[in-house]
Amino acid sequence: MIEIKNIHKQFGIHHVLKGINLTVRKGEVVTIIGPSGSGKTTFLRCLNLLERPDEGIISIHDKVINCSFPSKKEVHWLRKQTAMVFQQYHLFAHKTVIENVMEGLTIARKMRKQDAYAVAENELRKVGLQDKLNAYPSQLSGGQKQRVGIARALAIHPDVLLFDEPTAALDPELVGEVLEVMLEIVKTGATMIVVTHEMEFARRVSDQVVFMDEGVIVEQGTPEEVFRHTKKDRTRQFLRRVSPEYLFEPKEHIKEPVI
Amino acid sequence: MQFDFPFIVSAMKEMVKTIPLTLMMAVLPIVFGFLVALGNIIVRIFRIKGLVACSRFYVSFFRSTPAILHIMLIYLGIPPVADQVSSFFHLGWSANEIPVSMFVIMALSLTAGAYLTEIIRSGILAMDTGQVEAAYSIGLTHSQTFRRVILPQALMVSIPNFTNLGIGFLHTTSIAAIVAVPEITGTATIVASDNYAFLEAFIGAAIIYWVLTLILESVNGVLERKAARFQGGTL
Repeated sequence: MIEIKNIHKQFGIHHVLKGINLTVRKGEVVTIIGPSGSGKTTFLRCLNLLERPDEGIISIHDKVINCSFPSKKEVHWLRKQTAMVFQQYHLFAHKTVIENVMEGLTIARKMRKQDAYAVAENELRKVGLQDKLNAYPSQLSGGQKQRVGIARALAIHPDVLLFDEPTAALDPELVGEVLEVMLEIVKTGATMIVVTHEMEFARRVSDQVVFMDEGVIVEQGTPEEVFRHTKKDRTRQFLRRVSPEYLFEPKEHIKEPVI
Repeated sequence: MQFDFPFIVSAMKEMVKTIPLTLMMAVLPIVFGFLVALGNIIVRIFRIKGLVACSRFYVSFFRSTPAILHIMLIYLGIPPVADQVSSFFHLGWSANEIPVSMFVIMALSLTAGAYLTEIIRSGILAMDTGQVEAAYSIGLTHSQTFRRVILPQALMVSIPNFTNLGIGFLHTTSIAAIVAVPEITGTATIVASDNYAFLEAFIGAAIIYWVLTLILESVNGVLERKAARFQGGTL
């Protein structure tokens, strides 16, 4: 359903994305993993053109958008097909929870207020926040904020949901409630592209896992292929370092003592 | 010379009559200036070609020169131009018919516009840019994002600065005395010289300004509390 071809992005002399290709079928969950600075977040932000790629093509529903010179109309169209959940939530601070979720419906989609309210209320019930409709974002916990962020994205019924490290800014205790909501969304058959450090989540729910490093896709495949039958050394090294056992493994090189 | 307490009250009675005009010269410039500032901000945000440079020049000029100069420039500059226009189009009116306080309001509106542009701009700079991206990500256009996300928040955080400017302008109206507009300070000078009781008259004027400022501050308090609701009541 979505085909992304040859995405390049350069920040000054820094070549952040060096030709990324990805095909996502309808209903698929794709997780993108990789070290910080590997370009995974930049890649995700290129998909709704929050970041303008220098080169590349994105096609959704057979509509082809050339990312080097998208027209205003194309940018707007693409953003209407997608919705994003941000690491830092980015809720509208001056609007209540329900207004945050209604905004994309009443303003971008010109839905009638009563209808939008009903949809928003329903989405907020799904994420377990039906009793916080009139609270302001500042009165919520991180986990609650992120669930509002998810409801806001879900409400507009996008073709693709983009998640940019949705749990990375949360207290360890609150990560669970957000992942739980995400699992529910997976069950509904939504198409999702998720940048994450939650390896268990990636292992258990994805149809495709993409490992990125230094602006390229190093390895991609099913979770089985990437996690169990890892082909590339760089992937193996990354997976070993993020595993809980890494800290207590014997190391080949003894570094300078820490203390 | 003896200090004349009762005269403070009788001087204040004269000055109180000028409060409506004084407030008009303080509030209207803020209102018109706000519209001017909004125009400037729109020019800057949407980078409207050609106008950005004009906007920069306008803000720079009016912030770099004193308000009294703006009043003089408008008061002395507009009438000849207005008369020319009137005679060219045979409108049959003359600039003498324009009340002097109108010139003061015009001049101070331009002054306020420059300061308000910077106040609103700093409010926008204080905003978290992620919310703008969030607005785009759910399909809002640039202008919808500006109207519905950027502007409301920029204005709310600017409330204390608006009040500050409002108080400043209330006091700036005192320079309207120079073009003989009967406002508080000007009236104080007149009643003082009629009665040779300068200190008493100016104490009276100070009390009036103080009370008016207290009223402005309490209005500010109400507005701030309303706006701070979304920030969890802290500000």
